[in-house]
Amino acid sequence: MTERLGQLLPAGIGRRDLLKAAAAGGAVLGLPDAALAQRGGGRIVFANGSAFDTMDPHATFDVGRVAYRLNLYDGLMRWLDNPPQLEPWLAESFTVSEDGKQYVFKLRAGIKFHDGTDMTSEDVVYSMERILAVKKGAYPLFALLIEPGSTKTRDRLTVEFNLKQASAIFAATTHDIYVVNSALLKRNERNDDWGQEWIARNDAGSGSYILRRFDPARGFLAQRFDGHFKGPAALSEIDFRYVAEVNSRVLGLVRGDFQGTDPYMPQDQITRLQGDANMNVMEAESTRLFYATMHNQRPPFTDVNFRKAVSYCFDYDGWINNILGRSVVRNTQVIPNPMWGAPKDVAGYTFDIDKAKWHLQRVQVPLREITVAGMIGYEQSMQAAALLQNGLSRAGIQSKLLNEPWPVVSNKMRDPEQMYDMLFLWRSTYYADPHNWAGELLATERHRGGNASYYSNPEVDRLLAEALAVSAQARRAPLYEQVARIAAEDAAALFIHNTKWYGPFRKNVEGVRFCSIGDGQEMRWVRVT
Amino acid sequence: MRRILRKLAEDRAALFGLVLIGLLVLAAILAPWLSTHPGDVTEFHTAQRLTAPGAENWLGTDRMGSDIYSRLLYGARITITIAVTAIAVAVAIGVPIGLVAGYYQGIGSELLMRVSDIFLAVPQIVLAIAIAQTLGPSIENVILALSATYWPFWARLVYAETRSCKNEPFVEAAIALGCSPWRVMVLHILPSISSSIIVRTTIGMGGTILTAATLGFLGLGPPPPTPEWGRTIAEAREFLPMAWWYAAFPGLAIFLVVMGFNLLGDGLRDVLDPRLRRAARHDK
Amino acid sequence: MKTFVLVVNRLAWFVPTLLGLLAIVFFISHVIPADPAAFVAGENATPETVAAIRARLGLDQPLYVQFWRYILSILDGDMGRSIYTGRPVVEDLLSRLPATLELTLVTVLVSIAVGVPLGVVAALRRNSWLDHGLRVVTIAGLAIASFWFAILLQLLFSMRLGWTPLGGRVEGWGPEQITGFYLIDALILQDHEILLDALQHMILPVVTLAVPATATIVRFTRAGMLNALQSNYVLYETAMGYPRRLVIWKYVLRNALIGTVTQIGLIFGILLAGAVVVEAVFDWPGLGTFAVNSILSSDYNAVMGFTVIVGTMFIVVNLVVDILHGMIDPREVR
Repeated sequence: MTERLGQLLPAGIGRRDLLKAAAAGGAVLGLPDAALAQRGGGRIVFANGSAFDTMDPHATFDVGRVAYRLNLYDGLMRWLDNPPQLEPWLAESFTVSEDGKQYVFKLRAGIKFHDGTDMTSEDVVYSMERILAVKKGAYPLFALLIEPGSTKTRDRLTVEFNLKQASAIFAATTHDIYVVNSALLKRNERNDDWGQEWIARNDAGSGSYILRRFDPARGFLAQRFDGHFKGPAALSEIDFRYVAEVNSRVLGLVRGDFQGTDPYMPQDQITRLQGDANMNVMEAESTRLFYATMHNQRPPFTDVNFRKAVSYCFDYDGWINNILGRSVVRNTQVIPNPMWGAPKDVAGYTFDIDKAKWHLQRVQVPLREITVAGMIGYEQSMQAAALLQNGLSRAGIQSKLLNEPWPVVSNKMRDPEQMYDMLFLWRSTYYADPHNWAGELLATERHRGGNASYYSNPEVDRLLAEALAVSAQARRAPLYEQVARIAAEDAAALFIHNTKWYGPFRKNVEGVRFCSIGDGQEMRWVRVT
Repeated sequence: MRRILRKLAEDRAALFGLVLIGLLVLAAILAPWLSTHPGDVTEFHTAQRLTAPGAENWLGTDRMGSDIYSRLLYGARITITIAVTAIAVAVAIGVPIGLVAGYYQGIGSELLMRVSDIFLAVPQIVLAIAIAQTLGPSIENVILALSATYWPFWARLVYAETRSCKNEPFVEAAIALGCSPWRVMVLHILPSISSSIIVRTTIGMGGTILTAATLGFLGLGPPPPTPEWGRTIAEAREFLPMAWWYAAFPGLAIFLVVMGFNLLGDGLRDVLDPRLRRAARHDK
Repeated sequence: MKTFVLVVNRLAWFVPTLLGLLAIVFFISHVIPADPAAFVAGENATPETVAAIRARLGLDQPLYVQFWRYILSILDGDMGRSIYTGRPVVEDLLSRLPATLELTLVTVLVSIAVGVPLGVVAALRRNSWLDHGLRVVTIAGLAIASFWFAILLQLLFSMRLGWTPLGGRVEGWGPEQITGFYLIDALILQDHEILLDALQHMILPVVTLAVPATATIVRFTRAGMLNALQSNYVLYETAMGYPRRLVIWKYVLRNALIGTVTQIGLIFGILLAGAVVVEAVFDWPGLGTFAVNSILSSDYNAVMGFTVIVGTMFIVVNLVVDILHGMIDPREVR
């Protein structure tokens, strides 16, 4: 397989995008890895707005901390490019049984971990069991599907997964089965902790880079792994710094202290960077839904009229046109518009206080002050919460704002007791399938998982189960469209917009290969000139 | 009293401080009339967000397009509410403790003073953070955190003053005449040490406003949309360096108000504190 | 002998003061909250975790038993685990201590270097325009919100002019850890590049922190000088015909400086407190930034651990200053 460089263009490449990519010198295509190795050195310093508090690949699942998972570890399969393609990675192929319940993956031969050990199917089994035991990170993806102890090795390079029921998305989620060095980890286990204490600060991977330094206050530094099964990466060193302040990230980029940073900043800063001659703010269509949860199990949100009233209280136009400077597109339902399965006929809600009041009068349960939460460090989320509060007060709904950081938020999302009434956040792409949104955010079985709205609708559950049981996209698409329509009518959550990806890099950074899964943070193909 | 005012009037710096405080009080009281966009405490105009200072928005607009000048005026109300209430509570706790402990000597007083010493042994902002963090962000909790950490200042001061005052002839006379301890403390000692309390309170106001703003900056103050000055600065950081006015003016407001109290307190001390007055006489 | 009495006396107060500090923190963490277990768990844990913690920490026990256990655990160096980093709070705090100490120590030195001469001049030229000017400037220095001043400095010097780094302690990963003090480590390693870089990163935070500290030093030095100038022996020496300059250098300044030394404890307190927000603004990886992150994450153990550590440092500094002062100036022994 030939690796492609500088591939950050979506299928529908616009002329403007092409020119941009060419200007950035990123249009070097068809260069094999071997050639890259000869280019030797170089390093990138990437300023990350989220802190890396752990190096355990099975402990996190968010995009903010994806960099160490992608660069230090490898998954069975890997999503690449945009629109995302599921490519063989550690596994060179897989087969599915007739009933769709057994998956057999065949590992590539000769894959080495960073310490030189050969990777075998034992490591895959151990990793799967570890995900199920540790119950963090990607755990919700597999919890209902795979029984602990059911994953087996067939031979040194063959592993079989036995699912409880057929699942059209299982293969898509194997990107998140990061394989760890089981022998190394077992040596470092303490009190049957699956090596959690140790791996939180150490490396047991096979990825393109080897962890060299890690400090939660600073970030992590990793060095190229020359023995990577796909050949060595282009840069000899990657340095991911935790830089909390947006300003420090932007200024450091402008000054050249950093070569890249994440795009979680007010759109105003992106605009400012776009005006800087030394910057190359890459753009790509993405599938990342911005929405607000509503706690469907807690009155008054139990009443559909209340949820509708709230949905009419958000100033969508002011948000998209003024605050985000038209950088995003309205998404009226749960599935991002460019994804298949997204219905095109959902009109959605508008900013209409009169309609909000009309629905409010029909609410059957007593009203109260509601809590609207935003995420600290994610300006857009906090701003959207403030904007909603403004609309709510005009409709006569009392509310209070609460801003908390992601580690706190993510814990609360998993507990219906502690979950906020409303929370503004993004649903990123973890696997390119409508189920990533419609299923994870709406299915009853995903309560305490992705469904932080604690929405529950038997009809939706039935449609989702049906969509998982078949594999043909043509048959699944209408089912997801129907789910999206029902959820919009139910006002299951407040669906706002689909983001566009902005990658602020310096001009001398080439070869960023954007994929909506991982937000372009895999550094394997990146070069700095 | 007239002499004091006259002396104070000669101190231009203290007068300037008084003017600044007066402006703060006026801003707070007259906020609805002085503000150009009275509704902007809660109203947003997203189309006008982050506009530079100009004819329409004198001090520019914030991330939601609300008028910063108007929000600053309403913020003055919050600042006054927090500072005055917190100080009042701190004085109400600290002064009686200091009086009683200074008047009666013994294990009890010693203990009370040790407790206040311990409070003084930790930086105020650190304790206030711990308390505010426990209680959660709101105006009431900021007031609680501040008064809980600031009372020992008054207890210590009043204790020391009471002890030295107790040996003064007029107090001894009052005791000899059979006045009840309560009467001696409130009618004889308290008035004679009131000037020190006034000085300490004036300076304390400045410190309290600074600490309250710091709590706000850290997100431990009253939640949005309250136009609290400290939090406004924190909000503004993400929009720098473009929207400099967003961070600059609330900080300027804090600075001027605290400056006002500090200048006045400094002037008052020169006028009221007998020891410094003596020093001044030497000098002439 | 007198010094010995002083040391014993001060040390005797040290223990109760420390216990008192722990009592206050205990009160804040165990008595104020409605459900202390939920707080210890980090407010975001599942009910099961909260219940487990309640049992493990014995929060169902009487308060005095809880307090006793609390003290024992602190003495054992156990402040619980940080919810955010997952590490023992003590480890986190200790790993960040050198950064804060380096910053505050440099600031103290700068403040003394600037503040003492200014205070002396202000006192010698009492009521001159310089004295009045300094009075207003020092009052202003104490009135400025350090987080705002920090942001203004960043805005001007880092963002507009580009002269100084915006934040951080050093570009990159810093020197090899020897003492944890980058300046010292860089000197030991003879790495001038890192030394220069570390110094550049220090400019703005040190200036921000030094403003209130210097203002305080100026005011105390001035007051101490005035006191000494008006003391009887100075008047006597002057009357005896000693040159004024000699009297000032020999007697007045020495006595005034003793006064200033006693204030270093106070200044240290101002700096430690100021470091909380100033570090956070400048991304300085010390205790302050850690505290702010912990506040934002509702990381309860970490906030309380921070309070205990900073309170203890403050108490220790005051203890040392007291003893030093007693040694320099025997009259202070009580």
